[in-house]
Parts: sequence; structure tokens; C-alpha cells
Amino acid sequence: MPITDFHEAASSSGFGFSILSRRRDQVHSMESTHEATVQELELEAFQKQVADRFQDLAAAEPDELLSISWLRKLLDAFLCCQEEFRAIVLKNKVHLNRPPVERSIADFFDRSVKALDVCNAIRDGIEQIRQWQKQLEIILCALDNQRSIGEGQFRRAKKALVDLAIGILEDKEPNTNLAHRNRSFGRSNVPKEQKSLGHFRSLSWSVSRSWSASRQLQAIGGNLVAPRANENMSTHGLSMTVFTMSNVLLFTMWALVAAIPCQDRGLQTQFHATKQFFWAVPILSLHEIILDESKRRDRRHLCGLLKEIIELEKCARPLNELTDSVHFPLKKDKEVELKQKVEEMGSVFEAIKDGLDPLERQVTRRRKSMSGNLLGM
Amino acid sequence: MFRLEDEFRTLVERGAESFDLTLSESTHPHPDYSDYDDDDDDVSADEDENFIPVAQQITDYDIVIDALPAGTIGDLHAIAKRMVAAGYVKECSHAYSACRREFLDESFSRLGLQKLSIDDVHRMQWTQLEDEIEKWMKAINVALRILFPSERRLCDRIFLGFSPADLSFMEVCRGSTIQLLNFADAVAIGSRAPERLFKVLDVYETLRDLMPEFELNFSDQYCSSLRNEALTIWKRLGEAIRGIFMELENLIRRDPVKAAVPGGGLHPITRYVMNYLRAACRSRRTLEQVFEESIDYRKGDDQVLSSSSSLAVQMAWIMELLESNLEAKSKIYRDSALCSVFMMNNGKYIVQKVKDNELGTLLGEDWIRKHTAKLRQYHVNYQRSSWSKVLGVLKVDNNSTSPSGASKSLREKLKLFNSYFEDICRTQSSWVIFDDQLRDELRSSVSGSLSPAYRNFVATLQTVPDFGKNADRYIRYSVDGVEARISELFQGTSGGKR
Repeated sequence: MPITDFHEAASSSGFGFSILSRRRDQVHSMESTHEATVQELELEAFQKQVADRFQDLAAAEPDELLSISWLRKLLDAFLCCQEEFRAIVLKNKVHLNRPPVERSIADFFDRSVKALDVCNAIRDGIEQIRQWQKQLEIILCALDNQRSIGEGQFRRAKKALVDLAIGILEDKEPNTNLAHRNRSFGRSNVPKEQKSLGHFRSLSWSVSRSWSASRQLQAIGGNLVAPRANENMSTHGLSMTVFTMSNVLLFTMWALVAAIPCQDRGLQTQFHATKQFFWAVPILSLHEIILDESKRRDRRHLCGLLKEIIELEKCARPLNELTDSVHFPLKKDKEVELKQKVEEMGSVFEAIKDGLDPLERQVTRRRKSMSGNLLGM
Repeated sequence: MFRLEDEFRTLVERGAESFDLTLSESTHPHPDYSDYDDDDDDVSADEDENFIPVAQQITDYDIVIDALPAGTIGDLHAIAKRMVAAGYVKECSHAYSACRREFLDESFSRLGLQKLSIDDVHRMQWTQLEDEIEKWMKAINVALRILFPSERRLCDRIFLGFSPADLSFMEVCRGSTIQLLNFADAVAIGSRAPERLFKVLDVYETLRDLMPEFELNFSDQYCSSLRNEALTIWKRLGEAIRGIFMELENLIRRDPVKAAVPGGGLHPITRYVMNYLRAACRSRRTLEQVFEESIDYRKGDDQVLSSSSSLAVQMAWIMELLESNLEAKSKIYRDSALCSVFMMNNGKYIVQKVKDNELGTLLGEDWIRKHTAKLRQYHVNYQRSSWSKVLGVLKVDNNSTSPSGASKSLREKLKLFNSYFEDICRTQSSWVIFDDQLRDELRSSVSGSLSPAYRNFVATLQTVPDFGKNADRYIRYSVDGVEARISELFQGTSGGKR
């Protein structure tokens, strides 16, 4: 491997290459084995892949960010990164038994396990969105464009709308009602209105009442520190590879939690990668954008930042207000307005309907590949 | 229509209440574990069949049907019919599934099943996890054999022929099924510590035995993902079991060589591995199934095995690893005779444990024969390294030199003999041979070669004129004395000085 190749690679990747290039110079000033060079190439290639993929994701239009299709791209990117990571690890199995790498691989394993739990919670969240999809179907069916709206259908749609609205807005104590209900043996304790409201809103989560997405995310990101330069050298770059992949894992999980409803969503997780790593740049900027989005006043009450959820809320609210203000028999112009809003809602519905199943399949596939990954180690 | 919906919901819920109580009584497991062997780490593979004896099964189904009284079911059906006709299919279906889902939720929590995340399972203490596995095994059997079929029946009766039947059923069962499968998954991804084998086998077998029920209950299109998930997790459990054996291999390989057993006796690792494998082979059928699934062409194909099954290959490989480790350990002993004794001890134990056992059947007669031959080889080595020089000393050259020369050399020889013999006896009486038969064998083979030689030597001494009268002064041991000392060898007590 002629030295000139390395320098070319360095310059093409742009800024922030400082750590790697500095180290490489050091390495070349000493006499490194051929093996070490190969591994460093692998590491570089891997990091470049990460950077490229996330650069793509970061280049999305603002209204594409955190949509179902964007999430699917994210999952694809994650799966690819994971595959490469796995290949590198398997190739370097012989080095895995040395202390610093052994530790970081074990840590990565732990993080992956925690991430599996997050995936399960995300599946629940997707299921919840499916329930809303059903309510949307009711609304769309009841307020069908073809015929004029009867009072019965109107009331039906209204009820579904109310349920939907309650579901979309984040309820700080969603599970206490259910908790009480699960505990009490007699159903008569709970007032009837609460019951009917609760029914459409949430399935019982498949996680225990004390499980928390935000805690889980913090655990995934716990102790995730960049390896020191000398440690990285002694492990031929493997520590850095693990650190990179761990960050990819953390971010992917974090983005999913940000988008999809799950128990105790909290987005305060710390990211320890800093801009000095070139691959971290797009990830960190995405993180910033999403975090800002979550802090917006009109987003704070949503149970998930998924674009489609935001769209849904945007349609549902005025529709709700409209139906509130309307009395039967409907005036013609009100009816037209109503139908218009319903049509908007219809397009959101289509997006959800088309995208949700594939998304769930991807989450499942990724879950499977993570499990497979773990077993392979 | 809303009133109808409410009435529908109430009917479903009210019926469900009474079910709870009868369910907890009727399905409480009977602690009838009469199939347990007396060995500690045995697992009764028949536990599932014990739990649901035939008579009880029929009764339970009767109870299930009556739980929502026929009248209620009839009403529900009537209501559903009207709601569906009016186009309120979704509301009806949703009301139904929400109620029944809660009912299932409660049923499972009454069976002691917690909602554990994968992380929870990983951080649990092993003993606690064992308990959870027990609970899980009962719960999943109850679910697939009683609860889900009953839900299916209920669904079918209420939504007789309507479209929501399949979908509603899936919605009712999905959450609980996923919860049950997640637990199995967590076990599959968990630690590969060898002591977990038997419990993981339990989970594997439970899932395997329930596969037909999965097919039966979840035969429709909506539930296909559940079926697939069950299958995937079952396979993953198989991988976990193979992983456990790999971990066992690693443990053996990494067992520190420096830890020598004093006196060349049985090493703990030999004991551990052999007992482990014996216990594991009791689940031979299941293990064969597990290992057939992997195409794992490993070393050891030069060995002649009775069955060339993957399991047999795996077992043979583990034995090879154990032997290599033991050989490495034997080299720590500076005395090569002690090496041989060590290898004899451990080898004998291994062969003993292999015979008359499923493990022996797997490894085959040839393997046993080969290893028994190895034992004999070690025996020969021992004999040679310890005693050949002694025997050499005792060799009497009859066509000797002058009588005086002969006398002198004989005296030298006697001295040598005395010191060698003394040394060996001192050293080797603290050596250990754990097996009575082997110990006797060794002793008798030593005395068998030594006694005649010594007797001969002594006789020769006494014929030497110069020497013969004072022979007694120099001869420290009588022939009987020699034999007596030999019979004290390998006692394992420290010091053996007379």
C-alpha cells in the first residue's frame, strides 16, 4: 500500500479528519505491520459509509424529515452499517479477546439488547398508529364524499375524531387508568366515560408499567466515550469502529423514539460523539434539528413527531372544531367545508396506510438482524 | 348505535369477569412431577404432558364455553349482526378485541407472568430466571391449548361468518403472543453459560411441542406473522443451545493448565465435563434435533463414531478438547511417571462415565475401545518411567566377573536398589489413584515385575560367598517387605515413611 493512497483518501473525505490522519502519520513513522494497515483501511471505509449514509438522510427536505419514508431510509442505512460492522468484527475475531476491545464489544452487546427492547416498544407504537388508521377509516367512511352526511354518521365520525384527537396528544398518565383497571377485579369501579375514551386510545403496552423509553435510551448511550488515541492504536482501530457503530445505534433508536409513540418518551439523551469525528457531523446535525422540532410549542403535546402524526393532528383539529360548531341539519357550505377537510385527512390516511406495514416489517427485520448479530458474537 | 356498542361492550366484559375466577382455579397446575429421576440436573421432558392430563382438558374446554353464557353469546351475536349490517364493523370489532385483550392480560398476570423486557431478563439472577421460565412454560401451554382456542371459538360464534372474526381474533391474541414469544427470545439471546443448558432445553422443547398448536390457532392470514415469529424464535433457541456447547468448549480450552492436582488425581474439570455431558445426553433426542439443524463440519472426522450425527461429532470434539487440556496439564508434572498417573486417573474416569450411558452410544464402541487402549498405554509408560531403572539395577549377570568383583558390584546394586526403591515409595505413596480396580491393577503389575526380579537378586546375593553371611546387614527389604511397600503406593496420603 503506497503511502500516497492514504493521503488522497484523507483529503477527499473533507474536514474533521484530523484524528485519523494524525494517527496514520504516527503509525507510518513507526513500522506498522501490514495487518494494521488493512484494519485501518477497513475502519476508514466503514466510517466513510456511515458519513455518506447519514449525509443523505440529513439532506432530506424539512417536511420529509421523520416521515414514514424517511424512517424507512434510516432503518435501511442502519441495517447496512450493521452488516458492515458485523463483517469487520468477524474478520478481526482474533483481536477481540484483548482487554479494551473485549470490553467495548461486550458493551455494544449490552446496548444492542437494550435497543431490542426499544424496537419492541416501537412495534407497539406502530400498532397504535394502526388503531388510529382504523379511526380514520371510520371518519372517512362516515363522512363519505359521495353522499350527503346523515346525522347518525356524523355523530359516529365525531366520536372517532374525539378519540383520535385524544390519542394523538400526549397524555402524561396514559397508563394509570389502565393500571387501575387491570388491578381492580370489578369493572364497575371505573366510570363509564373514562372507559370508552380509553378503549380506542391505547392498547396495553407489551412492556411493563415501569419501562421507560427515555431511560432505555440513556442506558444505550451510557458510558459511550470516544476511545483515546493510544487505545485506538493498540486495538488497530477496532475501538473506534465499535464507538462509531454504537453511536449509529444510539441515534437510530433515538430518532425512532422521537417519531413513534411509546411509553415515557423523553429525548434528553446525551450524544458523546463530537464534531471532531467527520462521520458524526451529519448525525449531530440531524439530532439538533429533531430536538429543536420537539421543543416547538405546537409539537410538545404530540405523542410522536412522525410527520404523518403531525399532519394528522393538523387535519383533525380544525375538523374537530368544525364538527363541534356544526348543528344538524348541516348547511350546505359547512358540508362542503367538512368534506374538504376530510379529503385532506384522506391523503394522510393513504400515506399511513401504505407506509406502516413496510415500516413495521423493517423494524422486525432489523430486530432479527440485531439478534442474529448478537448471536454471531 | 352507540348504545348498542356500549351494550355490546358491557356484555362482553360482564361475561369475562366470571371467567377469571374459574380460570385461575381450573388451570392451576398440579404439582405432579412423578416423572423426575433422582438426579439433580435432570429435566422431565414429560412435564407438559403431566400438566394437561387428558381428562382435565375436556373439562376445561367445557368451562371455557360456558364462561360467556350461551345467552350472552347469543345476544352478542345479535348485536354484532346489527352493527355490521349498519356498517359499524370497526367499532364492533374494536370493542370486542379491547375487552378480550384485557381479559387475556389479566389471565396471564394471574398465572404469574410479568411483562419483562429483554433487558430485565438479562439482568436477572439465574435462580429467578429459572422460576420465570417455569411460569412461562405453564402460561404458554395454557395460552395455546386453552385460552386461544377458546377465544377463537368465542370469536367465531359472535361474529358468525362476518369478516371481523379473523381480524378480531388476531387483535385479541397478538399482544399476549408477542409477550410470550419475547420472553423466549430473551432467553435465546441470553448468556451462554453452560449451566443454563437444561432450562434453555426446556424452553426449546416447550416451543417445539407447541408448534402444531401455533399452526392450528394461527392458521389464518392475519396471524401468519405470529406463526413465523414463533418459528424464528424456536430456531433461535436452537442456536442458543449450540452456542452453549461452544461456550463449554471455550471453558475447557481456557481452563488454566497451571493448576495441577496434587498426587496426579482426578481433576475437577474432568468431573464437571463428564457429568455435564451425561446429564445433557439424557435429552439426546432433542439435542440431535438441535444439532441436525446446523451444518457444522468440525474436526474429529477421523474418529470412527457409531453414529455420524452432528451431535455425536460435537460430543467427540468436546472429548478431544478435554483430553488436550488434560494432556497439557499433565506436562506440568516434572515426573513423567506422574504425568502418566494423572492421565490414567482422568482417562479412567472418562471411560467409566462414557460407558453404559447415552453418551457411550453416541461416541460408539470404537471410541471406548480406543480410549481403553490409551489407558493401557499410559500404564505401560508409567511402568517404564518409574521402574525400568530399578529393574535394570536388579539385573543379575550370571556370567560375571570374579567373585569379589561380583560381590562389590552386587553391593553397589543393592545400595542403588534400596535408594531408588525408597525414593519411589516415598514419592508415590502420596500419589492418587481414585479407582480401586485401577489401583490394584497398578500395584499388582508393579509387584508382578518387581518381586520376581528382586527375589532372584536376593537369591543371587546369598550365593555370593563373601557377602552371603552379612547379607542381612545390607538387605533392607525382604521380598515380602517389598510387596508390602508396593501395596502402600497410591494411597494419596502425604508422607509414607515407614
